[in-house]
Amino acid sequence: MMSWKELQNTSFYESPARERAIGLVDEGTFKELIAPIDKFTSPHLPVLGEAVCFDDGVVTGVGKIGTRPVFVISQEGRFIGGAVGEVGGAKISGLFQVALQLYDKIVDKYPNDYESRIPAVVFSFETGGVRLHESNAGLLAHAEIMEWIQKCRNKVPVISLVGSKVGCFGGMGFVCVATDLVIMSELGRIGLTGPEVIEEVMGKKEFDSTDRALIYRTTGGKHKYIMRDCAFLVDDSIEAFRNQIEEVLKMPYSEIASYRSIGSLELVEEQLSLVGLSTELHPKDSKDVWRYFGNENADQIQDLYYEDFMNSVKIRPRGGR
Amino acid sequence: MALQEMNFTFQAKGDYESIPEEWSHTGVVGSGDLEILLRHEDLGGKVEAKIVTPVKGFDDIWEKVLSKFVESNKVGNVVIEINDNNSTPFIVSMRLKQALAEAKGGIL
Amino acid sequence: MRDDANISWDSLKRDRIERIQAAIPLVKMGKEVDASNAVALLETVIKPYDKVNIEGDNQKQADFLAKSLCEVDVEKIHDLHMVQSSISLGSHLDLFEKGIAKKIDFSFSGPQADRLARMIDQGTIELGDIHTYLELYARYFIDLTPRVALVAAYQADRNGNLYTGFNTEDTPVVIESVKFKQGIVVAQVNEIVDQLPRVDIPADWVDFVIEAPNPFYVEPLFTRDPALITDAQVLRAMMAIKGIYAEYGVQRINHGIGFDTAAIELLLPTYGEELGLKGKICSYFALNPHPSLIPAIESGWVKSIHCFGGEVGMENYIRNRPDIFFTGPDDSLRSNRAYAQMAGHYALDMFIGGTLQIDKYGNSSTATAERITGFGGAPNMGCDAKGRRHSSEAWLKCGQEYGMREQLTGDMPRGKRLVVQLQETFREKLAPGFVDRLDAWKLADKAGLDIPPVMIYGDDLTHIVTEEGIAYLHKCASLDERMAAIRAVAGYTEVGLSADEAETQALREKGIVKTPEDLGIDITKANRNMLAAKNVRELVKWSKGLYEPPARYRNW
Repeated sequence: MMSWKELQNTSFYESPARERAIGLVDEGTFKELIAPIDKFTSPHLPVLGEAVCFDDGVVTGVGKIGTRPVFVISQEGRFIGGAVGEVGGAKISGLFQVALQLYDKIVDKYPNDYESRIPAVVFSFETGGVRLHESNAGLLAHAEIMEWIQKCRNKVPVISLVGSKVGCFGGMGFVCVATDLVIMSELGRIGLTGPEVIEEVMGKKEFDSTDRALIYRTTGGKHKYIMRDCAFLVDDSIEAFRNQIEEVLKMPYSEIASYRSIGSLELVEEQLSLVGLSTELHPKDSKDVWRYFGNENADQIQDLYYEDFMNSVKIRPRGGR
Repeated sequence: MALQEMNFTFQAKGDYESIPEEWSHTGVVGSGDLEILLRHEDLGGKVEAKIVTPVKGFDDIWEKVLSKFVESNKVGNVVIEINDNNSTPFIVSMRLKQALAEAKGGIL
Repeated sequence: MRDDANISWDSLKRDRIERIQAAIPLVKMGKEVDASNAVALLETVIKPYDKVNIEGDNQKQADFLAKSLCEVDVEKIHDLHMVQSSISLGSHLDLFEKGIAKKIDFSFSGPQADRLARMIDQGTIELGDIHTYLELYARYFIDLTPRVALVAAYQADRNGNLYTGFNTEDTPVVIESVKFKQGIVVAQVNEIVDQLPRVDIPADWVDFVIEAPNPFYVEPLFTRDPALITDAQVLRAMMAIKGIYAEYGVQRINHGIGFDTAAIELLLPTYGEELGLKGKICSYFALNPHPSLIPAIESGWVKSIHCFGGEVGMENYIRNRPDIFFTGPDDSLRSNRAYAQMAGHYALDMFIGGTLQIDKYGNSSTATAERITGFGGAPNMGCDAKGRRHSSEAWLKCGQEYGMREQLTGDMPRGKRLVVQLQETFREKLAPGFVDRLDAWKLADKAGLDIPPVMIYGDDLTHIVTEEGIAYLHKCASLDERMAAIRAVAGYTEVGLSADEAETQALREKGIVKTPEDLGIDITKANRNMLAAKNVRELVKWSKGLYEPPARYRNW
C-alpha cells in the first residue's frame, strides 16, 4: 500500500476502500475496528458458492482530523459492487453506535466545552444498495442505518462522500442524501435505480445505459451540485475530499445542518416545489434544467474541468426554484 | 455450489523467515482478484495455507503456486489465509509477493 | 484463334448497359435514386447467381443497402454469391435465410460469428473460403470479381463524385475491381451536397447514388478505456518494451487491438521515456487511430501513422495533426485498408498482438468450436513477408538471431519480421492461454474446413510474452527447443506444467527465455500508476480537447 502522503494525491475514484479510509483522516491516526484479522465474513455467501471477504466489503474505523475524532465507513465497490449485506450492515450500524456513545461521554466530560471535540461520521459510499444474495438482512441493515443517522441528528455530524467507481445507488442512494451533507467529485454518481434497470424497464429510448455521458448528466457530481443535492464539489483526490471534510468540521453544527435535503417541513416543501417545476418545465435532458437555473453554457458544462466549472456554474437557489 | 476450502502445509528448505508484525492484510476480493491475510504463528517453521474460493478443480495448481512462493521466498512460521474470486495463478503469485513485501516493509 | 463470327467479346459490357438502361426510370436526376426506390433499383441491376459485394468493412457499413437487398423479391433475385470483407450486420446473414443469397466468401465476421457457424452447420449458407483482407482483395481481381458493389460514403455531389473521407476503408479497392470489369456500383451516402470537401471516388466510377434515410453505421472498435487496464497488462507491456522494443530498436510497427497493446502505448511517455527510448523505437505505425496512442504522439514519439480505417471521436484530433496522419486537401483523414494492409505486410518490422490460444508448437488461433470469426488482417502482419528485400535494424537483428537460418539458407544473411504474441497464461474464468491442441481443429471438423483456421503459424512466431517471461522462439535451433521455450513461459497451464526446470534454466542461460527478473523488472512494482493516462478523460486532456470520445466512453 502507498504511504499516507502518497495517498493524498491519489485518485479518490480509483482508490480501494481501505486506502480511502486511511487517507481521509490525519496521518497515522486510522485505527480499523472489526478488521480483516477478526474475519467476520458473510454467513450467507458460502452456501451460494459466492466468494467471501474478511471485511465483508466495508472498512470501519476511527481516526482524527485535528482535534476531532472521525469515524470512517468506507465501502469497497470491487467486492460484489459494494452491496450491503448482513455483516457489513451491522458493522456500519455499530460504528454509528460507537460514535454516539463517544459523543455522550465527551458531553459528560466537557459540558461547557465539547463543540470542538465532538466526533463526526464520514461515510464513503461505493455501492449499488442491497446485496441481493442476503436480501432481507440487507434491507434491514438499510433501515437500521437510516435510524442511526436520525439518532445522530444535532449531535454527531454525518458527512457523505461520493466519488468512487460504482457510485451510490439503490437503497444507499436514500441513505446518502439523508445525512447532513454530501461531498462529491464530478466522477461521483448518486441515484436510486441504476441505469441498466431503467433501460430494462422503460426502454432504450427513455434511457440508454451505454450512454455514459447521459448517465453522468443525470446522476453525476456536476448535476447534483447544480441541483444542491450535494453541498460541495471537489477534485478527484483523497486530499481534496479530506480538506473539504476539515473545512466542514470547522463549521458550527447549525451551518452543517443547513445543507440537509430532508428532515423538516420547509425542506419537504422545497422538494415538492421542484417536482412542480419539472412538470412545468418538461425537461428533456438535464441541460434544460441547468439552463433554467442560469447556465447559458449548458452544452459545455460536462466537458469543463473542475476549476472552470466552479468559476462559472450557477446553482439552484435555495427554496426551490 | 458451495464455496471450496483447501488446506495445505509447507516447509521451506533451509533458512526461513516469518513476518515482523502479528498480522498483515493486502488485496481486495474483486472479480479475478483475492485478499491475503498473513499471520505470524509458531509452527516450527512450517507454513499453513487456507484458501476459500468459488472455483473448483484447481487444487494442485494452488498447491504448486503456494509451494513455489514459500520455497523461493523462504517463508516459515506463517499462516496464509486467502479469500479468492477467480484469480489466475499469475495474479495469485503476484499478490503473494506483494503481500509479503508489504508485511515486511509496510510500504512497497 | 477463334473465328466464330457469333462470338462476342463485350458481353459483360452489353449486360452492364442493359441493366443500367433498365434502371433509368428509377433515376430522379443524374445518378440519384430516391431511397424509396432502393429495392426496385437492386431488383433491376442485380441478377440471380451474381457475385455481389455489400460494403461491410471492419467499421463502415452500407447498412441501408444491405437492408434493402433483404427486401427484394426472391423470385427475381436468388442464389447470390456474396463476396465481402466483413459479415457485421444481421442483415448480411438474413439474405441467406430468405434465399436471396446462397454462398459467401469473406474475411472477418466478428459480431456474427456464432450465427454464421450455426447457419453453415444447418446448410443455410454455402461457405466459399475464409480469407485475410489482402487475400480477398487480391481475389477481387482474379476469380471473385463482384458483378455489383453496394458501397457506402459520407457524401456525394450532384454528379456522383463520392467523399469517403475519414472512413474510406475498403471502398476504393472494391470499386476498382468492380468498375473496371464492367460491373455496377451503387453507393449509399449520408447526404448529397453541391460541393464535396474532396473527391475520393470520381463520378464516372459510380452508377447510382442513394441518399440513405440514416447515416451509415460506424462502430468505435479501437477505443480501449485506460481505466480497464490491469496491473498484469502493465507488467506484460513493460516486459515487451524492455525485452523486445528496446532490444531490437523496433521502429515500424502494427499493434493488434487489445488492452495489452493499449498499455504499451500508454507506457511510452512514462516507462519508455525512463528507459531513454524516444526516437529509438515506435516512430512509424500502420495502425487505426487508437486514442490510447495520443499521449505518445503528443510527447513526440510518433512520426507517422497510416490508417486502415478511422475511429469515432478522432476526427478533429487527426485534422489538427497532419504531420502524423495521412490527410486530404480538406485536412480530414484518408484511411485505406488495402494500402494499410499492404504496408502492414511489407513495410513493418514487427507485429504485436494477443490471441485466444497458443498450442505447444506455437500455432495460435482465435477460433472456438462454436464461432467462425474469420481472420481480418492480422495474419498478413503476423507473418514473415517472404517477398521482403529491404533491410532495417530490427529485421536484420532478428534474422541474424534466427536459430534455423543455416539449415535453411546456409550462410546467406536474411532478416526476419518480429511476430510477437502477448499472452495471458490464463484468461477470465481460468481458461488456459496455452493448449495441447487448438480448438480450431474442432471448428475445422464441424464446419468442414480443409484446414484449421490458424491466425499465426508457429514458424512465423518469433516471440511470446507472458507474465512468466519472454520466449525468444526464433533463436531456437529446432522444433524441440521451441517447444521447450513455449513450455517455459506457459505458467501453470497443462503445457507449462510439463516444463522441465533444468531445461528452462538452460534456455535462460542461452537468452532464449527471459523472466521478468532476468529483464530487471520487479513484478510487484508493475501497476496502473505508470500509465500516461488512466482514463478517457485524461486522453482528452492530452489531446488538448481535440479528441471527442463517443458518449459511451464519457465517464464524466
